Amino acid sequence: MKITDTVMTKLRMVMCSLSMVLFMSSVALVAMKGFNWGLDFTGGVVAEVQLSDQVTKEQLKQKLDLAYGQDVQVIGMGESDRWTLRYNHISEQAAPSLADTLATVSDQVQVLNSSVVGPQVGQDMVDQGGLAILVCFILIMLYLSVRFEWRLALGALAALVYDVTLILGLFAATQLEFNLTVLAAVLAILGYSLNDSIIIADRVREMLRGNPNGQTDNLINRSIQATFSRTMVTSGTTLMTVSALWLLGGSALQGFAIALCVGIVSGTWSSISVGITLPKLLGLKPCHYQVKPVDTSEESYP
Amino acid sequence: MVLIVTIVVMILSALPSWFGEKASLHITNRSSQHVDATQVVQYLDTHNIEAQSAYQKDHRLVVILEDAQQQAEAKSVLNDALSDGTTVALAMESAAPKWLTNMGFSPIQLGLDLRGGVQFLLEVDMAPVYHAQAQSVIDEVTGEVRFARGKVENDNVDLVFRTEEDYQTAYSIIRERFPQWQVHASDKRLTLNQSEDERRTLRNLTVQQNLQIMRSRIEELGITEASIQRQGESRIRIELPGVQDPAAAKDVIGATASLAFYSVYDTPSRRSQTIKDSQGNPIVVDKKAVLGGDHIIDARSGIGEMGSAEVNITLDSAGGRKMSQFSRHNIGKPMATVYSEYSRDQKGNSEQTSEVISVANIQSQLGSRFRITGVGTMQEAHELALLLRAGSLTAPVTIIEERTIGPSLGAENVTNGFAALALGLGLTLTFIALWYRRLGWVANFALIINMTTLFGLIALLPGAVLTLPGIAGLVLTVGMAVDTNVLIFERIRDKMKEGRTFASSIDLGFNSAFSSIFDANFTTMIVAIALYAIGNGPIQGFALTLGLGLLTSMFTGIFASRAIINLVWGRDQRRDVRI
Repeated sequence: MKITDTVMTKLRMVMCSLSMVLFMSSVALVAMKGFNWGLDFTGGVVAEVQLSDQVTKEQLKQKLDLAYGQDVQVIGMGESDRWTLRYNHISEQAAPSLADTLATVSDQVQVLNSSVVGPQVGQDMVDQGGLAILVCFILIMLYLSVRFEWRLALGALAALVYDVTLILGLFAATQLEFNLTVLAAVLAILGYSLNDSIIIADRVREMLRGNPNGQTDNLINRSIQATFSRTMVTSGTTLMTVSALWLLGGSALQGFAIALCVGIVSGTWSSISVGITLPKLLGLKPCHYQVKPVDTSEESYP
Repeated sequence: MVLIVTIVVMILSALPSWFGEKASLHITNRSSQHVDATQVVQYLDTHNIEAQSAYQKDHRLVVILEDAQQQAEAKSVLNDALSDGTTVALAMESAAPKWLTNMGFSPIQLGLDLRGGVQFLLEVDMAPVYHAQAQSVIDEVTGEVRFARGKVENDNVDLVFRTEEDYQTAYSIIRERFPQWQVHASDKRLTLNQSEDERRTLRNLTVQQNLQIMRSRIEELGITEASIQRQGESRIRIELPGVQDPAAAKDVIGATASLAFYSVYDTPSRRSQTIKDSQGNPIVVDKKAVLGGDHIIDARSGIGEMGSAEVNITLDSAGGRKMSQFSRHNIGKPMATVYSEYSRDQKGNSEQTSEVISVANIQSQLGSRFRITGVGTMQEAHELALLLRAGSLTAPVTIIEERTIGPSLGAENVTNGFAALALGLGLTLTFIALWYRRLGWVANFALIINMTTLFGLIALLPGAVLTLPGIAGLVLTVGMAVDTNVLIFERIRDKMKEGRTFASSIDLGFNSAFSSIFDANFTTMIVAIALYAIGNGPIQGFALTLGLGLLTSMFTGIFASRAIINLVWGRDQRRDVRI
């Protein structure tokens, strides 16, 4: 690769600024549009049904709105005879059976799945999900602060926050359903993004130690180059498998796969832009890694 | 050597999952009567259900069927045909060859989202239990001390006495009989409250009892592989694989039925309450029940002398004593049987609805066995008996979540999930083979061992269940597992560039990559553990495969691939190898 150091440093700075813009717009999107919360969080009823071919959305909606006395969400599922229905929970006695109601519109009714979630469960899920993210963040911060000098740790953390915000921004922008599996994907990205940042940071540390008189910017560039092919191979394979999930995994895993895809791309991006440029801006210098007797117990590369 | 043994064991453990499971029925007879296999098969044949095989296994008859559809049909057909003491239960049998199952290996347990079924989340409402506890203190004290007024306020007991003497007596009664209550005394007034510890114990006991009751109720329904687990403080998760109609299960699970017997009065008074019967006629009964449903040890439906349905009840000895004492003094007087059910209203508060199901004159002194008549149709009598037999709950239980996954959707999820896994695996294998060539084949071999080990581990671990998000975790693992080898290979490339021999580059490469590998996997492990500990349902399934995948990928990526590489290139002294 024949890219000079100055060009590469510039490139990193441009990437970093671009990240800032994306980050800000994600925050704005989340603040403005909010999420399309899934059933797990809101409570209510979701059912997936298979009806005869000729049933139209209008027919279906009209019938259901009347039967349940509320605005029933009717979503087509790609295949013409499959529908997802979503409505608020009404008490057992008052609610007419879904299958019976549908039987008046279509002569062939098959309820593929149905979920009824009470409001108290939804609230618990929100609490638990928030707690899970918080605990992960705290544990990761603890680990990072033990493992690295604070500037590199902060860089990795910034990359992490960036990735999560970007996924959240995407879900706010597209109004895709944000459910429990998406939350799991977000948390998986927490681990994955850190992966990339740590491996680059490891190299940076090694380089700083080995070249006490080097220019930080150039050393960072060389670290990125040294790890670049690894970063691309790993991200590439992971992206491939996750895309396979997106393609073939069916509707149940779609949100999950989308979140992971975006997370992997953004995780790779942020680890070479935000994650490593920020420590430099904070004043990372080779001397931070020189006289550190504590670190000798760690590894020493030949 | 250890490596080879581990891998062989894991392959063996993963094998049964390859063969899958078959739908089957377990037929057991309580009175150890023999159910004839050929008869059952013939009978099913007349109903156009083809049984693949039927054999006897530890006192029960196992019938293997084509699919879940036939399984459900066969169950209803057989239920009608077989005698009352026989239970027919849905089950799955491993389709793996005998020698594998004999070695103790079983297929991976599939989650509900992959095999179809019904899942409930129940909430045990503790408020009535606390209230009942408080009420029992008041009953006890007012029973002994004449001038005492007591009321329950926020689950605390407030007692007011008229004389100093009464106050002292009551105080000693409480000290002696209710030591677990904290007492605050002030001028002829006692305030009692329960400590948080005591409440926790009480809550645990109640939830345990409910778990037990749910287990026996579900056994009555005939589902062998149901999972009933406590979740959080006061919730119970029930998973019923194979069940396609939630309504029947819901009726049995959701109802908190209790039966109690009351003496009937002609006119309302301070000591009475009014409960309506099924026609809406008010009936005045005593506030305190003669006997509660917790004394019932057995209940069976039957047909009485007049040809109407009845429920025969057997009480425990304490209940029998109470009943015989009461009935001796009240021969000729009416006694009401009250059926109470808890349900949850729209605001989420549980409310009790009671109904008098029969008022009968006591003909003679009753013992520990007696019957109630006037319980409606035979079907209703049967259901009532079932509820009573399964025990009466002290705390009301309400269903707060209910999910149904149709069997066709479950099968579809399996197909989708594994198609994605196959495609992801295929792409990764091809890419790595092209990118790293010779070493790539090692990485690919390690990846395949990794997958096998992972499957074997999931099958081996008790309680590990494969769900759809779990498959997603597997797919993600495929992508990330390569990372270990990639890190090592990149380091080896570096060392080669420095001009070392192939063999020494390999050695150094493995060593220097280790810290990065450990770091990378460790952070993801933190996430996986946090997810497993905090999350539930789909999140846990994902966390399980992700975490196990990290372990197996570290194992195969570092040890297995190193073993292979050392074996092949361990003494390679060339310096110009292209990798």
